[in-house]
Amino acid sequence: MAEDIIQQFTSGEYKEGFVTDVEQEFIPKGLNEDIVRLISKRKEEPQWLLEFRLDAFRKWQAMPQPDWAHLDMPEIDFQDIIYYAAPKKDKDRPKEIDPKLAETFDKLGIPLHEREVLAGVVAVDAVFDSVSVTTTFRKTLAEKGIIFCSFSEAVKEHPELVRKYLATVVPSSDNFFAALNSAVFSDGSFCYIPKGVRCPMELSSYFRINARGTGQFERTLIVADEGSYVSYMEGCTAPMRDEQQLHAAVVEIIVEKDADVKYSTVQNWYPGDADGKGGILNLVTKRGICKGSGAHLSWTQVETGSAITWKYPSTILKGDFSASEFYSVAVTNNHQQADTGTKMIHLGRGTRSRIVSKGISAGVSQNSYRGLVQMGKSAANARNYSQCDSLLIGSRCGAHTFPVVRSQCPSATVEHEATTSKISEDQLFYCNQRGIGPEEAVGLIVNGYAREVLSRLPMEFAVEAQKLLQVSLEGSVG
Amino acid sequence: MGHGKYLDPFVAVAPQDDKRCHSERSEESLYRVRAGETLELEYVVLPGESRDIDVNIDLVGPGAEAHVKALYLSTGAEKVNFHIVMHHRAPGCRSTQKINGIAGGRAQVHFDGTIVVAPDAQQTEAYQENHNIVLTEDARVETRPQLEIYADDVKCSHGATVGQLNPDELFYMRSRGIPEAEARTLQMLSFLSPVIPQGREQEVETAGSSYCCCRRSSSAFSSRVSSSVPGAPYKLCSCIGSFSRSNSSHSSMS
Repeated sequence: MAEDIIQQFTSGEYKEGFVTDVEQEFIPKGLNEDIVRLISKRKEEPQWLLEFRLDAFRKWQAMPQPDWAHLDMPEIDFQDIIYYAAPKKDKDRPKEIDPKLAETFDKLGIPLHEREVLAGVVAVDAVFDSVSVTTTFRKTLAEKGIIFCSFSEAVKEHPELVRKYLATVVPSSDNFFAALNSAVFSDGSFCYIPKGVRCPMELSSYFRINARGTGQFERTLIVADEGSYVSYMEGCTAPMRDEQQLHAAVVEIIVEKDADVKYSTVQNWYPGDADGKGGILNLVTKRGICKGSGAHLSWTQVETGSAITWKYPSTILKGDFSASEFYSVAVTNNHQQADTGTKMIHLGRGTRSRIVSKGISAGVSQNSYRGLVQMGKSAANARNYSQCDSLLIGSRCGAHTFPVVRSQCPSATVEHEATTSKISEDQLFYCNQRGIGPEEAVGLIVNGYAREVLSRLPMEFAVEAQKLLQVSLEGSVG
Repeated sequence: MGHGKYLDPFVAVAPQDDKRCHSERSEESLYRVRAGETLELEYVVLPGESRDIDVNIDLVGPGAEAHVKALYLSTGAEKVNFHIVMHHRAPGCRSTQKINGIAGGRAQVHFDGTIVVAPDAQQTEAYQENHNIVLTEDARVETRPQLEIYADDVKCSHGATVGQLNPDELFYMRSRGIPEAEARTLQMLSFLSPVIPQGREQEVETAGSSYCCCRRSSSAFSSRVSSSVPGAPYKLCSCIGSFSRSNSSHSSMS
């Protein structure tokens, strides 16, 4: 009986691993200027955007793939990827959502209908492979002047805004994967909060990879004008496959004077099977800028999925007295590898930042924190505090910390602290003798360890994230 | 580094105690510490000297210990680089690193310290600390404390700070009649005190303006002392005193 339970636990499955059987249209495999033009044409884009893409593509061709990360990266054949896949629209009813898609998102717990869920109202932009299926609550939000729609729609309806802000935080030549994304990006979310508006509901994007042999290249742009507030959440899943799939996203956030943006991610891409076969390569560039004084940007991330994670949500603190935080829990199990962290670039006077990173490695996984805290000459009285803890479960995994602290300012203060430890026998024994099984005990200890970060998540996510932590670590205790 | 997986731990081991001086300014040392041995290294870099200190320590025998202490005081246009790799290759080893220093003038200080714990080096205890004070606008400090850990039963931590002398402490002392320059000297001394060399007097006396001391002890080996830079003796206190005076005009509390 007890053995059955443990067996059940250790074979914990990735429950989002199903495939939706829906008719899809693809563009041919491969990557060249014609493909870039084809994507742009499919999306009926204006000339300036096509030129932006082509420019990025040419830059990308001249760039080498970076290898500085502490990752065992498989060679990616960029010619063996389909760069655009979209579910076919019903010609008779082009406005309606395919019931199969609605069912898929329902199964994933993402409501595409505008109904109140228990925890409150959440507006969702649901992206399926390369296109946005729908964006809910658009009208309600529009009454307040908030624009929340898919990136493609934003290009058509608000070209002036997109053009003003696109690639201002992450230039197309920023890095290899950002350049690739700038050339072939398909869909993502666009969000604009006007001056002084407090967004009345959580905004959320949900990314789903479905088609085989494709890559997903999302592009998200969030602009919070003076004195506004928004809380934004992002979630993602993919089917279980033996082959690896590429996900290279770019997220840009612009925070104007006194605005406040909270960005949360629960990343649950398919991590590959227990032998390290398959899984998503998650190579993401996320960056925000606190442009005006008193701006505030907060990153919270829970990283449990992906075969490889390469992700450094960063903030440029340009405005005086602006502030930013980075809270992260990264879990790796089996053959997963994660190289994640943040950059805090302090330029303005009296800027503050705080980094709390909790890494958990199990199985034969490798989990690295990589960060940069930079105090520019003008960052008088700036302050940073970083804490990076690693927890090791099992003797075959690795936990690494690679922080860089750079200071050019005599009145700035930077503190960095990191520890590495394992779950002690004493802690486990304490739980066991009180009738808590080993798996459950590990779950308890891990949740306690990650609490500081989990408590920062919006309500809807916090519950899911806690469950996810447990699932991700199943089978890691001998 | 670079490609994920841990490399075979014994490929990179250099001949034991191979100590080379490439030039007067750079010093590259490889130490191999065997079972039961303890290695102690102390470095002092004084104003006016640019230095590259490159130390590789391999703890190859169970229970080996290594302790590194370094201090720097840089007031001019010096470039001081520390590159320390502490490689735990055997179980039950212990290591500590403490590097504190003060950068003024246009000094550029770079600290790059790595603790590597090999897959079978269980029961490792490794600690690393790097604290820096930046006194002037033009001084630059960059610190990279790194941990690469491939074993689970370990206690490892590192800490790094870059900051300034605490104005509250200064106020406390001045309000009790201690002149500003003296108070500053005291503050700097207390900041550096954890890394001030503990070497026997004659060792310190025979050392040059900058100083390096290595002690190795074990039951099997008698203790051995080597100083790398001969020259005139120095007095740390007076050095800090003149240092704090020369910099006090720059660092008036804002």
